[in-house]
Amino acid sequence: MKARLDLEESFRIALGSLRANKARGTLTTLGIIIGIVAVILTMTAAHGLQNTFRQSFSAVGADVIYVSRMPWVVMNDFFLYRNRPGLELRQADLLASKLRGRAIVNPSIGGQRDLKYRSATMEGVTIIGTTERQTLVSTAQPELGRFITDYDVTRRKNVCVIGTDVRDGLFGDAAAVNQELKIGRTTFRVIGVMEKQGGAFLGGPNFDRQVFVPITSYVKAFGGDRRQQNVDVAVKAPSHEAVAALEFEVIGEMRKIRQLRPAEADNFSINKLDTLVGAFDNIMGVVLLVGLLITGISLFVGGVGVMNIMFVSVTERTREIGIRKAIGAKPHSILFQFLFEAAAICLMGGLIGVVVASVLTAVVNATVMPASVSIPILLIAVLVAIGVGVAAGFLPAWRGARLNPIDALRYE
Amino acid sequence: MGQPISSSPATAGRIALSLRDVVKTYVMGADEVHALRGVSLDVATNEYVAIMGASGSGKSTLMNVIGCLDVPTSGTYSLEGQPVAGMSEYQLAEIRNQRIGFVFQTFNLIPRSNVFHNVELPLIYAGVPRAQRRPRVEDAIARVGLTNRMRHKPNELSGGQRQRVAIARALVGQPSIILADEPTGNLDSKTGDEIMAVLDELHQAGQTILLVTHETYIARHALRIVRLRDGMIESDDAVPAGSLAGQ
Repeated sequence: MKARLDLEESFRIALGSLRANKARGTLTTLGIIIGIVAVILTMTAAHGLQNTFRQSFSAVGADVIYVSRMPWVVMNDFFLYRNRPGLELRQADLLASKLRGRAIVNPSIGGQRDLKYRSATMEGVTIIGTTERQTLVSTAQPELGRFITDYDVTRRKNVCVIGTDVRDGLFGDAAAVNQELKIGRTTFRVIGVMEKQGGAFLGGPNFDRQVFVPITSYVKAFGGDRRQQNVDVAVKAPSHEAVAALEFEVIGEMRKIRQLRPAEADNFSINKLDTLVGAFDNIMGVVLLVGLLITGISLFVGGVGVMNIMFVSVTERTREIGIRKAIGAKPHSILFQFLFEAAAICLMGGLIGVVVASVLTAVVNATVMPASVSIPILLIAVLVAIGVGVAAGFLPAWRGARLNPIDALRYE
Repeated sequence: MGQPISSSPATAGRIALSLRDVVKTYVMGADEVHALRGVSLDVATNEYVAIMGASGSGKSTLMNVIGCLDVPTSGTYSLEGQPVAGMSEYQLAEIRNQRIGFVFQTFNLIPRSNVFHNVELPLIYAGVPRAQRRPRVEDAIARVGLTNRMRHKPNELSGGQRQRVAIARALVGQPSIILADEPTGNLDSKTGDEIMAVLDELHQAGQTILLVTHETYIARHALRIVRLRDGMIESDDAVPAGSLAGQ
């Protein structure tokens, strides 16, 4: 009860003081504004990158695991995987027959080839040999025409389904379906165009610059020696919950297919979207930490400015502190009075920073790249601003609260 | 020295405050300053005491001790029978808030707050709820005759009016004693007389008042004059009745 009344008075004094020193308060907030804008932009950038990343890999599907020769994320342990044998198509078919009825298994094989249609060419396009089950393990569907069928695969048809970037690059606005293009030296007929995936991520795979062909046709046209084959096998679980059990089963089957002895390590890798996202989140975590550390410095400088102005404020009002103490203000009332003032200055800076950062983000969104501030980030920013105020105001406020009333009353 | 000096014959009521052998020594660098060298003094309720002395006589220090702004080096001080020695800063603040009403030479009002808020302040620090504060503040302001200036800021008031606000602030908490430190020091003699009239009125209404002054004609408003010299009580006399009329 008493404490509440005290706080009320402290709050009132703080507001009154801010009103009385508008120019000084505004200048002081400048440091805080810059710091808060930096914090918000750093967090928004990190958040935006993360979203772009997730979006660009959304086609991969969270309930699909991939069996490959190598892990997707190889740091500095490349030598561990270098001598692994590639995954042969034969082995992929074996795995498919073992898992029949429990999971959808789709082998695929890929490489870079040049495309040619009349005078138009595209270099280094990703060619993926796959089966009709591709559209079951991935969310990407054809937009025009049709996808590869079972018949195309078993009869090794030279047909292809192209991504939107390939369509634009080779055919422009002209119709692509039923046209014939050259992949390397082999002629393929276009039977469909995939819908746009979008969001090629910072040099990551561009899913719109791909061509799907039947895996059998791929092997026939580009395959060469069976031992050099390196197939990726996508295994789609019936539900997201079943992924863990399925992964266990796949490892077991693969070890049998590969005839590994119990003591031998796996010579294949299981990849999931989760692993990729996890690795990416780790990297983003570091980037965010470094970014916040750097922006933290500007916030710190802003905080020092607030501390400075609070020392001035306490000194200026030494006599007032003396009066208040003489008529019964307790040390904590004085402490809170100045803490509120510092927090209010920083809150003001924080709110202005939120507005400035929102405007900057909107400008970036309209001109450079998609970006948006999120409410939690803004809330965090405002809380950080208040925290800086309390931290910066504490020392000056403490000094004010400890003043001897006699000396304070005598202060001119 | 330090013998208790008998109180004036007017001492009939309860003891408001009591000092016994109060010594206050300051250490300033290498020197020790003996501001009070053993002061004993009793003041009963509804007494009107003037404390006089030249500068350096220790009267400011005595004021600070009585006002609980400072604690004695040795000796005891009790306010309404309650010893102040060993109290924490927090408790002293509470005592100042509830038992003491200060009136300063320089008024010491909060400049940005209006008259009402200045007078309200001690009640806020005492934790009195808002609804109960308003009538008490208005009553205190009415007693010093400033009801029509309630929403004015101190810088919109004359010196005399400011001192009235300070008096209202001192009495709003119904303190045991009002400590007036040179209350007329910054005022012209006519305004000073008006302020003294306000204090006289408060005394007549039953308020205990301690007045610190170096001017004899101001001191004569009181009924008892205590003279300090070199940190000790030099004399303690009742003011002869009618001395004020002789001015």
